[in-house]
Amino acid sequence: MSAQRVAVTGLGLVSPFGGGIDDFFRRLLAGESAVRFLHTDDVPRPIAIPFASLPAFDPQTLFGKALLTTMDRFAQFGLAAALDAWRDAGLSMRPTADENREQWGVAWGTALGGVLAMDRGYRDLWLNGRPRLSPLSVVQGMTNAANAHISIQLGLGGPSACHAVACASSAMALGDAFWRVRSGEATVMVAGGSEAPQAYSILRAWEALRVLAHADEQTAATACRPFSADRGGLVLGEGGAALVLENWQHALDRGARIHAELVGYGSSCDRDHLVRPNKDGQVRALRLALADAGLSPAEIDYVNAHGTATAEGDPVECQALLTVFGESAARLPVSGTKGAHGHLLGAAGALEALITVLALREQAIPPTAHLRDLDAECVGVDHVRQARTGQPLRAALSSSFAFGGSNAVLAFRACAR
Amino acid sequence: MDSLSLIREFLHDRLGVGAEAIVSEAVLEELGVDSLMILELMFEFEERFGITLSKGMTPPRTVGEMVTLMDDLRSAQAN
Repeated sequence: MSAQRVAVTGLGLVSPFGGGIDDFFRRLLAGESAVRFLHTDDVPRPIAIPFASLPAFDPQTLFGKALLTTMDRFAQFGLAAALDAWRDAGLSMRPTADENREQWGVAWGTALGGVLAMDRGYRDLWLNGRPRLSPLSVVQGMTNAANAHISIQLGLGGPSACHAVACASSAMALGDAFWRVRSGEATVMVAGGSEAPQAYSILRAWEALRVLAHADEQTAATACRPFSADRGGLVLGEGGAALVLENWQHALDRGARIHAELVGYGSSCDRDHLVRPNKDGQVRALRLALADAGLSPAEIDYVNAHGTATAEGDPVECQALLTVFGESAARLPVSGTKGAHGHLLGAAGALEALITVLALREQAIPPTAHLRDLDAECVGVDHVRQARTGQPLRAALSSSFAFGGSNAVLAFRACAR
Repeated sequence: MDSLSLIREFLHDRLGVGAEAIVSEAVLEELGVDSLMILELMFEFEERFGITLSKGMTPPRTVGEMVTLMDDLRSAQAN
């Protein structure tokens, strides 16, 4: 089968602001932050960090008790985001008479999987002296739990692929889904990611890595400041995001709304260090995505950067963009949105791909929130400090660069409205 | 707590099933207790009553069979 065009027909989100997608994007454009101060003292040593949590999320209302019993929080976010995207795509929750959905599937990303269930289990076994665990611990903790719930609820009989590639997990899930639809193997894929990392063991481990930003009640909202000279590290967050990717003709035939076209995907590995980012690896992923999309650097009007606000990561990412975009880099609008919604680890790529699609659809670029004085090592690209409208956005990239050296870049093209 | 009360509490807490539906002849699967939830329910019995279920045991089909099985085991293992 010849290469098929791939439409983005559904967008879904568990918003850190508590509302829907339009509200989420409006707040991003306004430079608002969903990051708050997290303080937990029901643990051996209290946790006090800035964190983007979702206190308004109500899984029992969404799923009911029976289903909820089998789900860890990350799977709840995943199913909620996927169902939201599915509704947005105008698809029925169960297969209709003329669909068997055997070529419809899911590709999902999570770095940690059901780590809250595992953390609870360890506590019961090691600390509380319980002799064994609930049998549901297995299905709550398994990394592909979100996949399974999504496939079951939507009756998807095609591939159900789980990608656990640290902070590039859901970007790679989207790339996988994109290639499956483009090749003709799949007709519809729901792809995205979800993460719920606030397990005591996970937060302590990230703290030990000395990459988390410090803040107090007053400064938590602005704690994550990508590309800023005074940045102090990353801020973790929880949540989920999903995109429905659909065979272009299938979308046209059913009169679906097309938000944007997914046109390219590139992935690479730094192959030299577990956590230190490498410019050459990122350059390869960026160039592969452009080549896969058939786009030249001059056709890219926005890059949603990985932008974690770490001392190591931001400069390398800017150097990679300078290498790929050359003389046109100075005119390349770039923003990193983690200052607003936190770093969702395995779900970050999907959330930022969703933002990239919204930017193309709305022809508006969200800013890098809280960017004060630009770090001298991050100069050379056009950093977006305030929401920008008025210039046509033809195509955009979304970058995800993970621990372990895995890099993933997605390329989207705007559709005429 | 007797066995039926524990089943009622479990099905209400985990599955939102009302007490009026949990009668002796009710089929567990029809109440939403699939093979996974049966394991969880049996685990709950073991935890709460301090009994041990044999690994090869055939899972009960109805609420009444579950109550009988648990009552017999509690009685046998208390002696």
